[in-house]
Amino acid sequence: MTTETGNTADTAQEVLAVEQPADRPGFWAGRSGLVVAGILAAIGAYLTAGIITMDVPEGAKAPGPTFFPILIVIAIFVLALLLAVQTLRKPEHVTEIGTVHRFHTDWKSLAFVFGSFLAFALLLIPVGWLISAAVLFWGVSRALGSKRPLFDLGLSLVFASCIQLAFGAGLGLNLPGGILEGIFG
Amino acid sequence: MESLSLLLEGFAQAFTPMNLLWVFVGAFLGTAVGVIPGLGSSMAVALLLPVTFSLDPVGAFIMFAGVYFGGLFGDSTMGILMNTPGGSTAIATTFEGHRMAKLGRAPQALATSAIGAFIGGLIATSLVVFFAPKLADIAVMFGPAEYFALAVFAFIATASVVSDSVIKGLSALAIGLALAMVGIDGISGASRFTADVPQLFDGISIIVITVGILALGEVFHVASRIHRDPKLSAIAVSGRPYLSKREFREALPAWLRGTAFGVPFGVIPVGGAEVPTFMAYGTERQLDRKRRDPQFGKGAIRGVAAPEAAGNATSGTAMGALLALGLPTSATAAIMLAAFQQYGLQPGPLLFERNADLVWALLASLFIGLVVLLVLNLPFAPLWAKLLLIPKHYLYAGITVFCGLGVYATSAAVADLYIVLAIGVLGFILRRYGFPLAPIMIGVVLGPLAETSLRNAMMSSGGQVSVLVDSPVTWALYGILALVLAYTLWRRVTAKARQDV
Repeated sequence: MTTETGNTADTAQEVLAVEQPADRPGFWAGRSGLVVAGILAAIGAYLTAGIITMDVPEGAKAPGPTFFPILIVIAIFVLALLLAVQTLRKPEHVTEIGTVHRFHTDWKSLAFVFGSFLAFALLLIPVGWLISAAVLFWGVSRALGSKRPLFDLGLSLVFASCIQLAFGAGLGLNLPGGILEGIFG
Repeated sequence: MESLSLLLEGFAQAFTPMNLLWVFVGAFLGTAVGVIPGLGSSMAVALLLPVTFSLDPVGAFIMFAGVYFGGLFGDSTMGILMNTPGGSTAIATTFEGHRMAKLGRAPQALATSAIGAFIGGLIATSLVVFFAPKLADIAVMFGPAEYFALAVFAFIATASVVSDSVIKGLSALAIGLALAMVGIDGISGASRFTADVPQLFDGISIIVITVGILALGEVFHVASRIHRDPKLSAIAVSGRPYLSKREFREALPAWLRGTAFGVPFGVIPVGGAEVPTFMAYGTERQLDRKRRDPQFGKGAIRGVAAPEAAGNATSGTAMGALLALGLPTSATAAIMLAAFQQYGLQPGPLLFERNADLVWALLASLFIGLVVLLVLNLPFAPLWAKLLLIPKHYLYAGITVFCGLGVYATSAAVADLYIVLAIGVLGFILRRYGFPLAPIMIGVVLGPLAETSLRNAMMSSGGQVSVLVDSPVTWALYGILALVLAYTLWRRVTAKARQDV
């Protein structure tokens, strides 16, 4: 679950990075971890708004439905603050050694995977399992570096149909048929 | 010996051709998911949950018995051959296991790990058979205050012991607790944090959260590094995995010691088997240093045997804690809990009375599952490694489709697909910044239990906080927690001091 093996490699890279004087990094370099503190604060804000606007049914015994969330909100804000302070004081080391970008994220591949899953969710009901699952499979394999788009197209359709047959026809799961409704039972 | 006759009845129920087939299918699929790097046994259970929906409860749980242990057998295979542990529980096995493989002893390492997993699971499951009913008797004495103490224990222990930064661990825990709060409040009926979206009234399903955080988050993580990380290659295995008599005798004490470490941790909620596997590994290394010819660092067979036995022993007794106390001590157990609830069953002290036939059939299938897994993994471990010949992009594309299938099939709601996507992004960000994921799962799983028991305890006492520390059981729990924290602190301080020298 945790990426401990990855972390050891990361520290090795950090050591290298210290030896190599990089270009003077901006304030945000190595401090993008503030995003997590931001997410925590946002969750805290959402919970706070929810607690204030909550319709507590009359006659609810104390401690009521807001009691436990209030405790969590307090913890979340404290932790967000601590995280922010920790990230500001100890930024991640930015590495710029040759072509190895350990700390850099491949946004293009990431967006491609994200988009494929979103398309799957949007298409599932209107066009059915077969096509939307094929779109998802095709998109993810493309994002992860497959170089044979046409072959992938065939493979993803076969994969989606296999699942439809095994789970829909075989195990009786109700997968949406969409525009192909009636062709597959 | 009442347990024994009940167990025999369970075996009678499990030994139908159809049920044997389900155990086999479960063990097979569980191993397959476990073998894939980054996906451990909790993912195996979450992704295969929809497969079981059309089965009757007994068949479904018999299949789960196979899946449950299967993920654990699979994850060390990849660790040994490729130095990429399939799950966090296989990390300790990987150190010496991969060294053995590099020295051309991969078959022996695989055999040691498979037999170790078998022995650990077997001993732990036997203990569960004899002690789970007694545990259920004790559990009846647990009131709300005691359950709250247990939950707090799990929260703090997971957040501080398992993760390397306490703030990161606690942050992950808080996110998990926040996710668990969404939905209609069971006590007062108030709708909480649902933004009036009807799909959220029932809360966010544990399956959606597991698939999002663990599986989809992992796919995003792989995608973000696809052109960054060096390619991995597996060590080819020649010959069948087997152990000579000498090697077997060498590994046997380590298997047993590992089991001894693993057994208690199944009942103590510290977020799964990471802690016992590392403790078992550390102990073997300490013992090894005192020998005339230290083996550690040169591919020590005991360094593989002990953690592997510990991991499976933990899972075995975790099943006991789940059945008898209704207390999930790991993410895997939590999804099993969700599976029970899907069938309208509530694990806990009453389960042994109300659904005795199902419980004993499940326990019997755990034994059958272990035997099937030993057969599947001992001779065929090198074949499993061939799974990695599937190009990475197709492997993860397939996993993503299964994520979509699993989430949609559990609820038949498209809204869940959007939620799982959002949670997947969250899981990716947390992975990216090195946050531990186990505390999230523990928060989600035990959050509701913590809240209801806290509120029930305080309602019955009229708002007195002192009710939480009013009984010997709670003193014991908070006392052990304090000891665990002190020990962790001491270890960190000494580790730092040693680094400075």
